[in-house]
Amino acid sequence: MKKSTYSRIFLIFGILMLLVAFSGCTGPEAVKVKAGFIYVGPIGDYGWTNAHDVGRVYVDEKYSWLGTEYIETVGEDIASVKEAADTLITVKGCNVIFTTSFGFMDGTIAAAAEHPDTLFFHCSGYKRAANVGTYFADLYQMYYLNGMMAGYLSNTTKAGYVGAFPIPEVIRHINAFTLGMKAANNDSTVEVTWINSWYDPTAATSAANSLIGKGVDMLAFTEDSPAVMQAAEEEDDVYAFSHYSPMQSYAPESTISGQLAHWDIMYDEILSKVYDGTYNSTNLSDVDYLWFLKEGAVELGGNFDVPINPLFVPELQSITVGATNAYDYIMDKHDKMAAETFFPFTGPIYAQNGTLMFAAGVQATIPDLFTYMDWFVDGVIGTPG
Amino acid sequence: MVDYILMFSSIVAAATFFLLPTLGEIYAERSGILNLGIEGMIIASAAFSYAIAYSTQNLWIGVLSGMLLGGVLSGIHAIISITFTRTQVVSGIGLTILGTGLSGILGRGVIGKAIDTLENVHIPFLSDIPFIGEIFFDHPILVYFSYIMVPICWFILYKTRIGILIRSVGENPEAAYNQGVNVNLLRFACVIFGGMMSGLGGAYLSLGYLNFWSEGMTQGRGWIVIALVVVALWNPLGAFLGSYIFGTFDVMKYYFQQFLPTPVLKMAPHVSTILFLAIWGIILSRQKVKSIVGAPTSLAVPFEKS
Repeated sequence: MKKSTYSRIFLIFGILMLLVAFSGCTGPEAVKVKAGFIYVGPIGDYGWTNAHDVGRVYVDEKYSWLGTEYIETVGEDIASVKEAADTLITVKGCNVIFTTSFGFMDGTIAAAAEHPDTLFFHCSGYKRAANVGTYFADLYQMYYLNGMMAGYLSNTTKAGYVGAFPIPEVIRHINAFTLGMKAANNDSTVEVTWINSWYDPTAATSAANSLIGKGVDMLAFTEDSPAVMQAAEEEDDVYAFSHYSPMQSYAPESTISGQLAHWDIMYDEILSKVYDGTYNSTNLSDVDYLWFLKEGAVELGGNFDVPINPLFVPELQSITVGATNAYDYIMDKHDKMAAETFFPFTGPIYAQNGTLMFAAGVQATIPDLFTYMDWFVDGVIGTPG
Repeated sequence: MVDYILMFSSIVAAATFFLLPTLGEIYAERSGILNLGIEGMIIASAAFSYAIAYSTQNLWIGVLSGMLLGGVLSGIHAIISITFTRTQVVSGIGLTILGTGLSGILGRGVIGKAIDTLENVHIPFLSDIPFIGEIFFDHPILVYFSYIMVPICWFILYKTRIGILIRSVGENPEAAYNQGVNVNLLRFACVIFGGMMSGLGGAYLSLGYLNFWSEGMTQGRGWIVIALVVVALWNPLGAFLGSYIFGTFDVMKYYFQQFLPTPVLKMAPHVSTILFLAIWGIILSRQKVKSIVGAPTSLAVPFEKS
């Protein structure tokens, strides 16, 4: 080798050394908490993962002491979760990890055992440890209100529901929607079509069209895209309820209302308590957030700050319900749910086959709703499985 | 009780998404080049055409951009597999991975952004035919374009000189080359045509069928096109039939959910593909039949001028 080659290698080596040496000094020293998010889907899904990422960006911008990192489209097996957690902790330097899918539960527990000094928060699961807490925001109250609107506005008394998977969460939402619709109009039915996927826009479109073909004029759904909204917008006199993200702009004339999640408020709460030292890696085994309308974790509407599309307000206001009108009645139920003086799952509630599941005046408990709900209420057409 | 017009109309809408790229891929494979990058080209074009349509507020510029991107991406495959005679399978799969990644970048700015997409176009007389008109002629223009493209593609492939040249290049490139045919040029043209049709399929998906963009929205449906080309026996008329059979499966499974378990219905398209392949396999095992309707003999074989 020529002498110049050696000197060139030394030069490159020297520059690399300097880069490594300085890279540690460049980060803002103010960052005390660094949160890493493990996502199950792409942040561009415009549903579940997108909503979590909106929450992440919110807290990241709000607090100067906070830094955030994320890894998207992570597999739900234990090895993938552990690998993602390892990367976030050892390479990116995160000291708090959020895992945002039910399927990450076992992986989160395994990763937490390997990193006892890191705080883990798992969304929608039930397994906790000294350094693993859980959190969830549920939409069933919003579905009940959406169902009420469907009941008042439907001309056919038939609604359709495009469901992802027959699990307690989705069944609970279908049941809440049906109870609301029947509260408004006792003749109502809700037909369910499963697509067996959390995210498959083409399947959701076909499923929505099949329901419209069967004569429904109201659509609600659990799928992470605006496909069902678009299917409703394509047809005259078919209306839909937006899910998870604000989708009213996709179907401005067919969106009545919807359900919105506010993960920003949840992440703000958790990370603030990590920052002020309330939570550390030894005291999370009892930390279990389950937030509803009362805490502001969910919102009614197809767009933020628009609980009901103004196009439909006059019609609701023209429907008489007792001494008031349908619009005021729905908003009253909304306020009572926010104050937790009204619970949609209060007996008498009958199952599809006529069995009395909750006697008059009996309230469903959290385990009833979140663990054991594998049956449909009276009024649903379809099978929960 | 079921609205049959809506049911059949959604089959047409679903089938068009398969038909456009299948027609293009038939030309590519007829010329001897297997392009496994269909999925990548479709999804990248879906993102790109939606993003361009959103930023220019002009749907047709969006559609053309999608076609263009499909053409450019397939050009990469053409250069690798024709100019450099590398393995087509690896290059095609690489193209799918590239396209999927590219779609995430191209579409990032328009997630959650709605625009007015392609409207259903009413054709005088045709749209007024009862039942048939409502099923076939109440769609965006791209659907009508797919109807026209089927006979045109068939005619060019089987009834014109250029079609004979394309097929001969896919059967025996050496012989064609010795006859003075520019093998590489023809193959380039066919692959790029295939890419543009895939791009059009992507544009149809985001601007005519689903009417939004979100990441990974094809859910791997582009791969079905590869199978459809075989089901169609490399014939544009077969592509029409095959696409509509698959479209029917895609739509019908939701109508029969009360009677059959969902997983069984979900398997239907895939099981039927295997069945088709098996049946074709048996029929085509006869040499005489194979020479008439089978796969192009030089499919996926790189051609090096001797």
